[in-house]
Amino acid sequence: MTTGARMSFTTAARRVFDLSLGEMLWSRRTIFMALVVAGPVLLALIARGVEVFGMSALRVNGRPVPGFSIFGVMIWSLYLFFIVPVLGLFYGTALMADEVEDKTITYLFTRPVARGAVLVGKYLAYLACTILVVLPSVMIVYFMLVPFSQLPSTFGNLVIDLGLLALGLAVYGALFAFVGAFFKRPLLIGLVYTFGFQQTVLALPGSLKQFTVAFYMNALVPHVMPSDGVSSLLQSMFKENPPLWVCLFWLFAILAGFLYLATRVVERKEYILEQ
Amino acid sequence: MSTKTRYFVAISGAILAIGLGTGLVASYMGFPVSVFSTAAGPDELQYVPADAAVVAYANIREVMNSDLRQRFKDIGPTTDQKNEFEEKTGLDFEEDIDSVVLAVTGSVANQPQKSFLVLGKGRYDAARLEALAIEHGAQATDYQGKRLLTHLENDGDDVAVGFVEADLVAFGNLAMVKASIDARRENRNIVSNNDMMKLVNELDNSNAWAVGRFDAIAQQANLPSEVQAYMPQITWFSAAGHINGGVSGQFKAEAKDEQSAQNLRDVLGGFLAMARMQAANKPALQQLADSMILSGDGKTVALSFSIPTEVLDVLESLAKGRQGVVQQ
Repeated sequence: MTTGARMSFTTAARRVFDLSLGEMLWSRRTIFMALVVAGPVLLALIARGVEVFGMSALRVNGRPVPGFSIFGVMIWSLYLFFIVPVLGLFYGTALMADEVEDKTITYLFTRPVARGAVLVGKYLAYLACTILVVLPSVMIVYFMLVPFSQLPSTFGNLVIDLGLLALGLAVYGALFAFVGAFFKRPLLIGLVYTFGFQQTVLALPGSLKQFTVAFYMNALVPHVMPSDGVSSLLQSMFKENPPLWVCLFWLFAILAGFLYLATRVVERKEYILEQ
Repeated sequence: MSTKTRYFVAISGAILAIGLGTGLVASYMGFPVSVFSTAAGPDELQYVPADAAVVAYANIREVMNSDLRQRFKDIGPTTDQKNEFEEKTGLDFEEDIDSVVLAVTGSVANQPQKSFLVLGKGRYDAARLEALAIEHGAQATDYQGKRLLTHLENDGDDVAVGFVEADLVAFGNLAMVKASIDARRENRNIVSNNDMMKLVNELDNSNAWAVGRFDAIAQQANLPSEVQAYMPQITWFSAAGHINGGVSGQFKAEAKDEQSAQNLRDVLGGFLAMARMQAANKPALQQLADSMILSGDGKTVALSFSIPTEVLDVLESLAKGRQGVVQQ
């Protein structure tokens, strides 16, 4: 029997999660995500195809580059630099904005659930949705590029990569969930932060880089940073490696802090729907 | 949750579970190299004892036929010197030797003279070599059906040459040559050493390479103690090069832990950035600096390089200039 009694926070978040996961998975935004994630898989497929014909997919100084090194470059250049921040940005900023845009937020907020639980449920759905798409693609890319004989020596790094990407999705998602809930133009602010502020301060000396997510993420990557351009060369020169516990502490602090702030904003903000 | 969402979750989860499961099994069971590929490296490795600390290989034929060799051919030994050697042994290095394998055992620090084994593949006139060796005081014996020529030394470090196959000669300390024959006969050779073969397996398209335990060569390098103290704790190394028109290669090291490897990568990264800046005004050096690429992951550090033609031109003119001065 349905009553007007208020659901507990966790029950409400779980209900919203169930509802939102299907919606997110089969939305138009998922087509974008599928295209983004299919890129590395396609590149790995081409590399594999080239090797089947006895050629090397990538040569440096006339010498073939090992499959695991190509995989490392893809983790840096495609996943950590582009896919993870972009998915966090597009999904995180849209968690509440989509409901406002579709004018369906009223239906959610008139339910006997805490407003914060709506955001947490949607955030968890985002996390499940992106992890279920991104991590299998990393796994496929790994098995396509790395020969079976090198599996024992490289598998540990794959596990670190998977954990790091999942953590990255969680941290960027929480950060941009707050940006989406608090600011009027969250996408623009997110793009400026991710590809402007972060990339600039990482290529400069000083302590400003400690205010970026990428600073802590980059220190945990088990692959060497590719230095193929001026920006990446500078970044590798000024790259610092804080201890593991410092990186994990700040990443989890950013995650928890911004998720908490996002729920506070959603609970207090008055959403005015355009007529 | 709808049915198609459930299917999606199940398929994604299955991909992750299968991948992680396969990786876990591979890590804990330790797939030998030969499970998914044929044994890497030349056949002569079957004559290298399993406890070798360093193994090096050079494809002499490819190097001799390379464009690089042709450029520097005039700077080698004179024809008269070569003819004298060829007359005595019937051996022409340029024509008769195809490849050489050098193995160093773990006891190199204590007894360096007893630790080396050289396996030369090529075309030999065994009878002529044996006659020449006996003429110089060597003894001919048989060991496990293989012909051995032993030169007895006063200090007991007997040097031996073993004709282990029709086209393969083993040279080194008598004990090492015998160990080499035993390694092949008992099938307890370096091919069964998974750590070493993993390194050999990673080499590709190289006509000269070396792999092994870093401590074995570090002890012989006589590095200052201050330098050794600051050196990261490297366990394994591999160096591979390809010689043809130019020279390209890669040095790869495995550190004891990821932190040591990271420190080494950072130091080398800073050094490379500095070298690129220093070489900015010198085109030949700039090409060399640009060709040096640092890579690696986890506990490994790799540095690849390519010596450009401009640098070889400078070396060639220097060498010819020096030779001209000597002849005058």
